[in-house]
This record gives sequence, structure tokens and C-alpha cells, in this order.
Amino acid sequence: MGSVKVSQLTKEFSGVHALKNVNLDIQEGEFFALLGPSGCGKTTTMRCIAGFEQPTSGTIQIGEAKVNHIPPNKRNCGMVFQSYALFPHMNVFENVAYSLNIKQLNSSNIAAKLPIYLRLLNRKLGKYPKPIEQKVMEILEYVELDKHATRLTSELSGGQQQRVALARALVMEPAVLLMDEPLSNLDQKLRHSMRNTIRRIQQDLGITTIFVTHDQEEAMSMADRVAVMDSGEVKQIGTPIELYSRPSTPFIANFVGTSNVLKGTVVGQENGYSVVKGHGFLIKSTNHVEQKEVNVIVRPENIKAFKPGTISSDELTNIIEGTVLVSTYLGSIVRYDIKVEEYQLVVDTTFVPGESILTEGEKVQLTIDPERVLLI
Amino acid sequence: MKNRLSSFNGLTLVKVLIYLFFGVFLLLPLVSVFLVSFTGQPINLLGSITDPNILNSTIEKFSSASFDNYEKIFTNKTYFSAVQNSLELAILVSLIVIVMCIPIAYGIARTTMPFKKTIAALCTIPLIVPTFISAYAIIIMFGRAGWVTYIYNSLGGEGMLLNPYSMAGIVLVQVFFFFPYALWPMVAAFKVSDISLEEASLNLGARNWFTFIFVTFPLAIPGVISSALLIFTVSFSDFGTPIILAPKDLNLLVVEAYREIAGFFNWGGAAILTVIMVLVAAFFFWLQHLFTKGKNYGSVSGKPKQQKLNDSKGLTRTLSVYSLVLVIIPVLAMISILLQSLATTWGKNPLPNGYTLSHYQTIFSSSMGNIQNSIVLALGALILSVIIATFVSYFVVRQNSSKLDFMTSIPLVVPGIAFGIALIQTFNTAPLHLTGTALLLIVAYTIRRLPYMVRSTMGTMRAIKQDIEEAAVNLGATPLTAAITIIGPLMLPGIAAGSILVFITVIKETSISILLAPADWAPMSLAIFQNILRGEYYTAAAMSVVLVIIVLILQAIANRISKNQL
Ligand SMILES: Nc1ncnc2c1ncn2[C@@H]1O[C@H](COP(=O)(O)OP(=O)(O)OP(=O)(O)O)[C@@H](O)[C@H]1O
Ligand SMILES: [Mg+2]
Repeated sequence: MGSVKVSQLTKEFSGVHALKNVNLDIQEGEFFALLGPSGCGKTTTMRCIAGFEQPTSGTIQIGEAKVNHIPPNKRNCGMVFQSYALFPHMNVFENVAYSLNIKQLNSSNIAAKLPIYLRLLNRKLGKYPKPIEQKVMEILEYVELDKHATRLTSELSGGQQQRVALARALVMEPAVLLMDEPLSNLDQKLRHSMRNTIRRIQQDLGITTIFVTHDQEEAMSMADRVAVMDSGEVKQIGTPIELYSRPSTPFIANFVGTSNVLKGTVVGQENGYSVVKGHGFLIKSTNHVEQKEVNVIVRPENIKAFKPGTISSDELTNIIEGTVLVSTYLGSIVRYDIKVEEYQLVVDTTFVPGESILTEGEKVQLTIDPERVLLI
Repeated sequence: MKNRLSSFNGLTLVKVLIYLFFGVFLLLPLVSVFLVSFTGQPINLLGSITDPNILNSTIEKFSSASFDNYEKIFTNKTYFSAVQNSLELAILVSLIVIVMCIPIAYGIARTTMPFKKTIAALCTIPLIVPTFISAYAIIIMFGRAGWVTYIYNSLGGEGMLLNPYSMAGIVLVQVFFFFPYALWPMVAAFKVSDISLEEASLNLGARNWFTFIFVTFPLAIPGVISSALLIFTVSFSDFGTPIILAPKDLNLLVVEAYREIAGFFNWGGAAILTVIMVLVAAFFFWLQHLFTKGKNYGSVSGKPKQQKLNDSKGLTRTLSVYSLVLVIIPVLAMISILLQSLATTWGKNPLPNGYTLSHYQTIFSSSMGNIQNSIVLALGALILSVIIATFVSYFVVRQNSSKLDFMTSIPLVVPGIAFGIALIQTFNTAPLHLTGTALLLIVAYTIRRLPYMVRSTMGTMRAIKQDIEEAAVNLGATPLTAAITIIGPLMLPGIAAGSILVFITVIKETSISILLAPADWAPMSLAIFQNILRGEYYTAAAMSVVLVIIVLILQAIANRISKNQL
């Protein structure tokens, strides 16, 4: 098991800057997610760690050792490919046993290599030694596939194939487990249950895991920490809660959950609040920043909507007038799109049975708790 | 693997070696023969690099280079008529094949014609037989003492129904033994053409034949033209038929070129004829590509259309009889060879005078060497092809090496006899004196058949996703171990099917064998050819039967393998 340290990693593909000075410091046993839109360089980062791409510059460390010049077959990174990349001519058992065979192959003399090659080429040509068989069956049991050990991988469902790929990577007891969008080929329901399976196994084994995804919900619900990437750069690293409550850029605020972003200028300080003025609104925030031009970030659930004149007396700060454009009933919450001057704000309110929902075209008053207004 | 550190040396070296192989054995000969067409004397390009004396003489030859040979095409009567006759033959054959195949193709594609399966199966027979054997079979049937001639005469006909030693004889052989090349693309074209348009036409009250001529056929025209162009190239490049059947006064490019080199050692003449052959073949090959580009007649994709097959009794029966009569002719030709091989003597009678196995005894006692040679040479070509094709497809598929892709397609457009002449001319002297060795023969076979092999292995390689290879490496395997344990087994079916086809075509190969094989390496095809020339017809027939049986068995194995693969 080991930590992973990536420093100043840059990767150029014939003119395309896929990665620019990426720094990651991943703790031993941590579940670390790389999150970002398509083409931002997540796969490239992972392939550099696995050794399939040579960095243009920068270093990669696994455990204590720098691994830049170690070929991919010696890095001991278990990788789960997006397409699973199972060996189609081998059955489930043989797929999982592959790395154990290779390990034995590398540590035996020439005479002993032959039977291993033979059983790698065709299952009828050789018997597996007891320890390998035991270990494979153990891990197959663990991912609940022991009953399918002799099936060809093409005869398995998507979720089962996924678990074969996972078992195949885990059986070699890798220093790090790398997973590139492992859930993207599964349907919605299966994806949820596989999230739990993967997280449970990771916790059980305490294995350092790097998980690539472009699905923020996936990253937020599974990972200990998340690195948000965009155009080859790491924009922010933090726990899911940190990323959600303190995004460092409007891009992240929007990528990690939904946000309302308003442009404004800090016009002064008042009773410990920063006062920000924008087009058609004046807003107070407990946040203090150096610069004058700011982005005002407010999460939809931190805005309250009232019919005019119904605001209670303790909600008198940050009142904004608007008009309801669309209201969408989403079960436990009601989401409104509300027009405020040139902006369109998203507001989520808890749905209380019996209370009426604001209708389209209706005038509303919005209030925002200054503590929930983020300036960046 | 992207890991340059570990794979740079080995793989790059292999790539350089492959380029070197094609450079020396394909490009160099073609360039040399092109130059010789100007100088009129052999040019030793390799020697010019290694030996200053040769360089001087080469420069001297260039100083006397001229367009004389090119003028000769028009002034020399023999050359001019050779070009004319060859073009005429190819055009005639492709036109007849197309007209003959339209009803069969329509019958197979769009009707409930009876015996469809039988007809389709019989259509594979012509492709198994080397053309010089087919030509010889036509002699057995239509010759002065042939059984067809006997029947014709007893029905009151005078002389021969058709003289096999003539343009008509050559056309007959090529039509009946090349038509399957056109038939299947045409069947596909008829299958694809839009059914709904035809139905509309029929609904509007149009009659069946009207619909066929004005709706069905026009839609299939691109496929038909492309088939015609293919037949043109095949007929134009064929050496086996003319060398057996062309009479002295019928000049054809392939025969003329062969005579210039094998009879008169006229390098300039052979070179100019070679250049013409390559240019014409390449031009028609290119034309054919133009027609097939973007139109994938082979694979009907998307939703399967419900085909309404024509089941009018009169039509389907007529088509069936017509098709059976035509496809039975190659079968009769093969039966004739079989009977001849078993005959004690066979005069001008419908059947042999008596039967014996002695001809087989003769070839198994005295010609075992030729069978052995064929097998050894074919194995040599097979091994070389497998190695080169596997690496070429690796480079083309994994490293996008389009130059290599192009290079391996060049042999497709070079007629065998032209390639043979280019090789003889180039490797006639030091430093690489290879003419007359088994090695040059194997190399020639390999290069001729490589395009087919490469296509077969490339398809399989494409089907293996790169991440499967990476997964193996990720699990600890070195690139080499990954290649042996993962890529190898996954490619095996493709390689096996491809290599059997290489083996078959090498055993069938005529032009290269006749031109390049030294006496002590004579393969079966050369032995049969010489037997025919020497008038030893019965042993020639027996050897032909053995050859066809070997090919049949291997073909069956190859079909098995590629079927299992699907
Ligand atoms: N082999 C390559 N050659 C050239 N450019 C490449 C190569 N691999 C990746 N790139 C480029 O590098 C950038 C990052 O690619 P990468 O595959 O890392 O994105 P990603 O974040 O994994 O995206 P996705 O979510 O779509 O998988 C892209 O612009 C891509 O086009
Ligand atoms: Mg990716």
C-alpha cells in the first residue's frame, strides 16, 4: 500500500497541453477522486501514474519511490479500465488469476516457466497450483462471483464484468487502485449499488484509490477528497464538504452542485458585513475579500422565497425582488427559476404539504442569510 | 506500448527491417525495370552503390537512355498488337462475364430460384483451380480429340466446335473460371438496391421485366461496373491461360513479355511491356476503387429489410436451369481432368478407353520432389508472410503507419509476370545474385500474397482493443509476455485462416513459378506446365488432380477456422 505524490506533472501531445503543472498529494488508504468535464486530462493523469504515458515533465512518486522510469508492468498499480478490458479468450477465473501467473512466471527459472506459459495459453494445458486457486476463489467470493468462475466474460452482465475487472486488479494486492470512470457503462440503478460496493471494498482493504469520474455526485458521495480539474489544470482539492461550501472559482461552484453566480462590486463595510452592489441588487455577506470586483455565489437552497409582504421580521437582510419564471416540483423540494433584473436565479425550497406553490409570473421577495453568501 | 524506453529498439528495428525488405524486393525491382525501359540494357542499381565500376557503366547506360522503347509500342507491330489484343481480351471477357452473370446474380439475390445453394456451392469451384489447369481441361474437352468435339461431330458438326488454341479458347476459360469474382459483388448489389422503389413501380402497374430494366438494374449499376473492372484486371494479368492456349500468331502482353525475357533475353523489350502491364493494371485497379468507394455492397447494415423474393414459377425455373448449365461447365472441365488422370488412353471418344492408377504411381514415384518443393516453398512463404503481416498490421493499427499500409498494397496492382520480370532483372548479378535461388522464389511468393495476408491480420488486430494489451501490462506482464499470452491467442484464428490462404495461392501460383523457379526447386505448377509442353498429358492431369485436392482440403480447413471465429 502506498501514498501517491504527483509534482509539477505536465504532459504535451504533439502541441496539445493535456496537463499543466498538476500537483496531487494522496494519502495512504485515501479514496481520492479526479473530477472534471470531458477532455480535462483525468485519464491522462491516471495513465501517467500507471506508466502508460511518459510525462513531458514533472515527477510521480508511489510510496517513497520515484517511478518515472519504472515501466508500467513493474509499478504495481491495479487499474480498472473504463471498458473493463477483460481478456475475452479467458474465463472469469483465468482473468483474475492472470497477474498471479505472471508473478510466478517472473520468479521462476526457465524450466518452470513452460508449464505457466502453457496454462496461460490454454486452460487444458496445465493445472493451477493450490495457493493461486485459493487466492482467486477467495477474491471471487468477495465480489460474489465464485459461482461464475468458469464462465467466459462475454457471458456476464455489465455489473458482473465490472466486478471481474475489480477482482482482477485487487488480486495482485496493488499499491494503488486506479479506476477510470468504472461506472459509466452501467445503468443508473446498478451504478448506485456499485458505488456502495466499491466504497465498501476500499474501506475494507484500506487500499489507496484514485477514482476518475465526470459525475460530481459520484465523486462527492464516494471520495474522501476530490480534485477538480479543468483544461489540464487542478483547480481545487478538498473534501466534498469543503468543495461544496467553499468553491474557489465560479466554475467549481457550478460544477460541484448548482450555484447562482452574480457579478458585483464591494462598495463598503457595515457592521462586519461586506456590502456588494450589482445590477439591481445590494447584498451583504459575512465573507471578506481583498479585491473589489467579486463573484457572489449563493446555493439554491440558501435562498428563501416569500410572497410579497409575508416576510417575517428576522429575515430582513438581503431582500431582493423578482418574478417567478418557472416552477418545478421535484418531490421533496420545489425548484423555482426566478428573474431578477438580468439574472435568472435558481431557488430550492422545501415542499411543505398544504402550502401553495408560487406560480409562474408571480412576484416574489427573496432573502439570503449573509452567512451563506460567498464572495470569490 | 507507449513506453518508449523499453520498446524503442526492438520494434523500431523490426520496422526498419520491413521497410528494407519492401524497398529491396518490391520498390527497387519496379524502379529498375522502369529505368531499363529507357536504357534498353539491364541496370544494376544495388551494384552501382557498392562498386564504382558498375556505377560508371550505369551512368554510361543512362547517357544513352532514350524513348526508343516507347516508340516501339507503336512502331513495332508485335508490341502494338500485343497491347491491342490484351486490351481486347480483357474487355471481351469482362463484358461477357457481366452479361452472363446478371441473370444468375438476380436469381440468387432476388428470387426463390430452386437449387440456389447448389449453384452457390458450385460457383466456388472455379476459384480453386489454377488457370493453366483450367486451360488444359478445355483442351481435353474441346481439342481435336476432345469429347466435346466427338459429340459435336457425331451430331453432324464439322471440325471443332471451338478451337481451344485461339482467342476464343482463352476467352472461354477466363469467362468460366473468373466469373465468381464478379458474381458475388453483383449479388450484393442486387440485394442492396432499394426494394421500396421496385414495389412502387409494380404497384403503379409496371410489369416485372419493365421494373427490372428501369428500376432494379439501374440501382445495381455501380456494383456491376465495379465487378466488370475487377474482371478486366484479373483477365489482363492472367498468365496461366494464355501461356497454354495462345497460338504463335496471337500476341498477348503477358506471353510476349515472357518470350522476350525467357526466349531472347531482350531486357528493354521485356521492361517496356512490364511497364505497360503495371500501368494498365494499376489504372483499372484505381478505377475500380473509385467505384466501390463509399459503397459498401458487402455488408448490408442497419435494419434488415424484408425482401420480397420473386417466386414466379416460370422465371425461377428458367433462371435455375440457365445458372446450372453455366456453373456445371467448370465442373465438367474438372471431371475431364480427373478422367484423363485415370485413363489408360483416351482417344477421340466420350470416355477413356480404360482406367488405371499408373499415372498416379508415376507421379508419386518420380515427381514426389515437385510436391515436396511446392510444400516447402509454400511453407517458407507462409512463415515469412505471417511474420511480416503480423508486424505490419501492428504498425498500421497501433501506430497509424499509413506508409506501410500503402506499401503492402502495391503488389495488388502488379501482374505476376511483370513482378517476375522485374525481380529477374534486378537480382541477376552481384551484389545480390538471387535469381535462380529458392530464396528469391519464396520472397516473390510472399510479396505477391502479402496484401491479402495483411488484410486478414489487420482485421483481427483491429478487433483487439489497445486497452486489453495495456491491462495485461498493468497486471505485470512485459510487452513481450502480453504479446505471447494475450495478443497471440486472440490473433491466432485470423493468422491461421490467412496463412492457409497464402499457402493455397502459393501452390496455385503460375507466373512466378514458371519464370523464377530453378530446375531443382520446381514446384508442382511448373512440373505440370512442363509436362503439358512435353505432351505428357496423363501425368500432367494426375498432378493437377493432386494439386486441386490439396487446395480443396486446405480451403475447407480455412473455411472452418474463419467460421469458428465469427
Ligand atoms: N494520445 C493522445 N494524443 C493526442 N492528444 C491526446 C491524447 N490523449 C489525450 N489527448 C488530449 O488530451 C486532453 C485530455 O485527455 P484525457 O483523455 O485525459 O481527458 P479526460 O479528462 O479523461 O476526458 P473524458 O472524460 O472524456 O474521458 C484532451 O484534449 C485529449 O484530446
Ligand atoms: Mg477519460
